[in-house]
Amino acid sequence: MIANRATFSARSILGFSAILAALAAPGAANAVPSYARQTGLACEACHTVFPQLTPFGRAFKASGYTLFNTRKVQDINALKQSTLSLSDLPPISLMAIASTSHENTANDSQSSKNSTDFPQQLSIFYAGRIADNVGAYIQATYDDQSGTFGMDNTDIRFADVFDYDGHNVVYGLSLNNNPTVQDLWNSTPAWGQPFLNSPALQSPAAGAQIEGALAQVVAGLSAYTYIDQSFYLEAGVYRSALQGASVASNGNINNNVIAGVAPYWRFAYENDWGPNSWEIGTFGLDTPLANPTTPAGNAINVSLQNPPTDRFLDLGIDSQYQYIDDTSQLTVTARWTHEKQHLDASAAAGFADNPSDTLDFENLVGSYYWHRRFGATIGFFNLSGSTDATYFGSANGKPNSSWANFEIDYVPWLNVKLGLQYTAYFKFDGATTNYDGAGRNASDNNMLFGYLWVAF
Amino acid sequence: MKTTWIIASALTLASSLAYAEEKGISPATLSKVTTVCQNCHGPRGDSVSATFPRLNGQQAEYVEAQLKNFREHSRSDPHAMAYMWGMAAQLDDALVADLAKYYATQKPTMPQTGGALAAQGKAIFTNGVEAHGIPPCAACHGDHGEGAKDVPRIAGQHGDYLKRQLEDFRSLLRENQVMHANTKDMTDTEIEAIVSYLAND
Repeated sequence: MIANRATFSARSILGFSAILAALAAPGAANAVPSYARQTGLACEACHTVFPQLTPFGRAFKASGYTLFNTRKVQDINALKQSTLSLSDLPPISLMAIASTSHENTANDSQSSKNSTDFPQQLSIFYAGRIADNVGAYIQATYDDQSGTFGMDNTDIRFADVFDYDGHNVVYGLSLNNNPTVQDLWNSTPAWGQPFLNSPALQSPAAGAQIEGALAQVVAGLSAYTYIDQSFYLEAGVYRSALQGASVASNGNINNNVIAGVAPYWRFAYENDWGPNSWEIGTFGLDTPLANPTTPAGNAINVSLQNPPTDRFLDLGIDSQYQYIDDTSQLTVTARWTHEKQHLDASAAAGFADNPSDTLDFENLVGSYYWHRRFGATIGFFNLSGSTDATYFGSANGKPNSSWANFEIDYVPWLNVKLGLQYTAYFKFDGATTNYDGAGRNASDNNMLFGYLWVAF
Repeated sequence: MKTTWIIASALTLASSLAYAEEKGISPATLSKVTTVCQNCHGPRGDSVSATFPRLNGQQAEYVEAQLKNFREHSRSDPHAMAYMWGMAAQLDDALVADLAKYYATQKPTMPQTGGALAAQGKAIFTNGVEAHGIPPCAACHGDHGEGAKDVPRIAGQHGDYLKRQLEDFRSLLRENQVMHANTKDMTDTEIEAIVSYLAND
C-alpha cells in the first residue's frame, strides 16, 4: 500500500521525474536474514511472520540492530578503548519477489488485465551492526516496472541503553529516508499492512504526505528514547533528499521540495501482559512543500530561490494489539491520519478551488497466523476529504476512496512466503461508478495478486 | 536538562558499578546484562513478557547449567533453539558463571499464591499425587519453591512460562528425564493448579 501510494504520488505529478516513481515504487517492507545470522536468533524472535515485529523485535530495532552473537574483528588503542568491532561476515541479505496479477478490467483499450513480474523486486540489504552502538538497515532495490536499481528504505541508527533505578532506558538517533520507517510498530504508515501489492494496482490520486508520499526522497534525523519497552518518544526533522535529481544543481527546478525542514514527532505507549501487547500512539509531520504538485497533476515550476509553498500538517493516531503464543499469532492494527492542507501556492496558481482542504485516512487490519505457517489477513481502508475538483482532479471533486484487502499466506519456512491477495475497491477517486467521467467504475480496479517472497 | 540527564546517567552508572564491585561481578558481565539480557529478561532479571522466564533470584547453578546447555545445544525445546542458542553461543565459562551469580543475587519475585486452583496446587506441591506418579514438588524445589543448586526456583515465575515448561517436560519437547517422569501422567488441571499456586502474573 505504501509502495503504491508513493508510486501514485509520483505518477500524478506531470513533469516530475519518472525516476522518483521508480525509486518510490519498491518500498515493500522486509525482514532481513542477516539479523538472524548476526544474533543467532531465529526469525520468530523478532517477527510473528516477517515483516511484522514482535515485542522483542521492537527492542532489537530500538537498540540500533546492534545485538550481536558472532565472532568479531576487533581493535583497541593504547588506552584500551575499542576502535573497531566488525562482524566476521558482512550482514548482507537478498530478497526476491515474483508475482502475477489479474485486474478486473484493463485500464484502457490498449492494456492487458494480466501481468507477471519476475522479479517484482530484487533487494540487497546491508542490515546489521556497524560498530558497538551503530547499526543499519539499508536496502537497495531493483524494480522491474522501472528497470532501475535504486535506494529503498534506509534507517541508520546510533543507540545505547542504561539501567536507571531498575528502568531499562534505550536512547538513540535515527538517520532515515522515509517518515515512520524508523518506527517500532506496524500500525504506522511505512510498515503497515498490506506489506505488498501488485505493481499494477491502481491507487487513489490523493494521499497524506506521511502515508508514503515522501518515501525515499527525504532525509530525516530524529532522537528517540524507549523506556521499559513501554514508553516511546521521538522527535526529528526531515529535509528533501531527492534521488536522481539535485536541489542544488544548476538549472534544476524541482517539485515537492521541503522548504526548510519538516518536523516529525511520535509518542507511543505499549503495555505487555502475558502473550498480549497493546500499543496506542500518536505521530505527526508538518511538511512545507515548495513547488507543490497537486493530485490532479498540476505542478508549479518556478525558481527554488523563493518558491511558493503549500503546507501539509499531518496528525495521526495509531493502535496495535498482538497476541503471540506458540500456536497463534494475531496482530490487529488501526490508524487514523488527518491532514490539513494549506494550499496557498496551489490556490494562487489556480490549481486549487479552496485555500485549504482536509484529508482523512483510516484503516483497520487484522492478521492471524497459525503456527507461523498458515495466515489470513483482512484490511479495510477509507480515504475521504474536502470537495475540490481542481485540486483533486476527480470527476465529482472528492478524493474519496474506500477498499478492502484480503490475503491468505502459506509460510513453509520462516523466510519463504506464498501469498494470494484480493483488493476490492468500493469507491475510487470520489465515486463508486463512473469515477473518471469516462465510465470506469471503482470495482474495475479490483486486483487478484499472487506472489512468492523469499529472503536469505 | 542535558546536565541533569548526564548527572543522572553518571550516578546510575556509578551506582551500578559499585553494586557490581560489591557482589564481585565484572563490568563486562554488567554490560552484557544491560545491553543484551535485559532486552528480554527485564531489568535485573524481572521480565515483563511470559515468553521469557524471570531470572531474578534464580539459583546460580541452574542458570549456569542452562546457559551451557544452550551453548552446547543440549537443550532443544523450541524457545531454547529460537532464542538462547544464539544468545549463549559466544559466552565463555567465566561469563556464564558471572551472569549466573548476578541473577542469583537479585531480589526474587514472590508468588501470588492466589487463584481458584491455588489450594489444590499447594496440595500437589506439598504432597504430590501418588495416583499420577507426581512426587511433592517441594522435595526438590524447596518448601517455598525457591530451588536449590541446579534445581530451579519456580516460585514467582510467570504462569504461562511455568505451564509451558510442565507441558514440554510432559511431551518431552524439553528433554529432562526426571521431570518427564514426574509429569508424564500429570493432567492439564493439575498443571493449572500448580501454576496457580506458584506463579506471579
